[in-house]
Amino acid sequence: MFAVHVENLVKTYGNRCVLDGVNLSVLEGQFYALMGPNGSGKTTLASIIAAVRTPDSGIVEVYGSKPAQAKELIGYIPQENFSSPKLSGKENLMYFASLLGYSRIEANRLVTEMLKSVGLSEEADKRVAKYSGGMRKRLEVATATFPDIRVLILDEPTTELDPAARRTFFGMIQEIMNKKTTIILITHIGSDAELASKVGLVDNGRMIAEGTPDELKRKHAVEDVITVETAAKADNVVRVLSNFSKNGKVAESGAGYRIYSQNGGKILADVVRSLDQAGYKVMRIEMARPTLEDVFFRLTERSLQEEIG
Amino acid sequence: MRQISAAYNKAVKELLREKAALFWTIAWPIIWVVIGSFSFTGSAPQEVIPYIKGSITISMMVFALMIAGMSNLPASIAGDRANGLLAKLMSMPIRPYRDFIGRISAVITLSLLAAALVIVIGIAVGARFTGAGIEIAQAIGFIFLVICASAGVGLMAGTLIKNLQGAIMTGVGIAVITSAISGLFAPYEVLPAPLQMFARIYPISSAQASIVNLLAGPDMVAYNPLTSSQIALTIALSFVLLIIGTVLYSRLGWKLE
Repeated sequence: MFAVHVENLVKTYGNRCVLDGVNLSVLEGQFYALMGPNGSGKTTLASIIAAVRTPDSGIVEVYGSKPAQAKELIGYIPQENFSSPKLSGKENLMYFASLLGYSRIEANRLVTEMLKSVGLSEEADKRVAKYSGGMRKRLEVATATFPDIRVLILDEPTTELDPAARRTFFGMIQEIMNKKTTIILITHIGSDAELASKVGLVDNGRMIAEGTPDELKRKHAVEDVITVETAAKADNVVRVLSNFSKNGKVAESGAGYRIYSQNGGKILADVVRSLDQAGYKVMRIEMARPTLEDVFFRLTERSLQEEIG
Repeated sequence: MRQISAAYNKAVKELLREKAALFWTIAWPIIWVVIGSFSFTGSAPQEVIPYIKGSITISMMVFALMIAGMSNLPASIAGDRANGLLAKLMSMPIRPYRDFIGRISAVITLSLLAAALVIVIGIAVGARFTGAGIEIAQAIGFIFLVICASAGVGLMAGTLIKNLQGAIMTGVGIAVITSAISGLFAPYEVLPAPLQMFARIYPISSAQASIVNLLAGPDMVAYNPLTSSQIALTIALSFVLLIIGTVLYSRLGWKLE
């Protein structure tokens, strides 16, 4: 059974087409990641599924109903930190419980359980202003775990989390998944999308590929990925690296660059030598199997972060 | 009912925990009641000074009500929009009008708290009032009109100005500027003719003059604000501002596009 079904969805803002005939089906209990760069339309798609925005045309269904008629089933977590910093964690959850119509006694019981499930029992009475980013995000996800909610939509939940908080966060998501809740994760981070059972790659308002993470990598990214970090970033580094990369493309990657090659093992030493001759000391170089970010680069020839070559 | 009380409880707690809101709504008017009561009574006869202090207290009480409606309300609306709460609420099975009633009720609570504290401090520094019975009831009616008009302006600012700081500053700006040019901070008689006209039309200054007339005596007001036509105009414009604000908020406030 489909928890979410989207067919030929179109959405425009003025003259700009943000979603251009998107199709998407998410099975009940599935963990589905929508991955794409900023401005690709994934947040708009999520907000339409969450009944926050309306489409220009197309079909959107949550358990067979229009999103506006299925709000009881939807738990939407926008990208921004929407919990009130002036209220405690418990007060925030009590607010949402009251909005959903729970009596004070019921709300108290539920909120106590929810705080426990997201590991915030000890900080329940502390003001949210004093929470860390990870704690705040966990509290906000708790607002979307009331008993009736069956579809959880998370918009870029880990963007501001450190690695430890991110691990804790996905541990909590695993717990939620165990309750058969359908999860739609919006992200531009490949390693987050890797955790999903199915991934949809979105670019320029279109779904450009869909499948399990392994399927996508097998089908679309066959080259080795070489990550290079030099003492400084410079156009000359990009120029040197482009000589070694398939199609001459160089993607930005954190503190360094990424290039793609079908014989990565053989060119590593040449890359270091060439950069050294150009006056750029290589601080780190490594070869790895492709990730979902590489799949995206392969399909669009653009990095999820920034295209530079 | 639970949705209204949820919105109300949240808004009241946030307002009472927001130091800036408390300062501008409660502390600032009280400071001016104290300063005004000792500095601006001038060479008035001793027997009149308590009523001048009463008049100053009423003006500052009205200013407190203005700030509550014109600044705290849009701050609450724009803040919730900016931090994504509005998007979250839109995804939930919530009726916008219930959220609206909760917010407005919270602002009324803070307004009445501020008004009560300003009056208590005014009395403590020597303010005296003349009215009793029917005059007090009428004054409460005019206080209600001030709250309506201020909330109307606040709803407009919170709906039309998407940026949090912009919404706050617009509200504060409107409150301060209109107070200054409508005789809230200065005697009506020293205003130039066009501003005297504005003071009579602007429902908040007109209501303030009516309250002063009722509770500090007609001698404290340079014109009679209690004529039928003036009262009708004040009531009508107060409700017009509230209705425009409510319509804008209900049509545009719960939209992200």
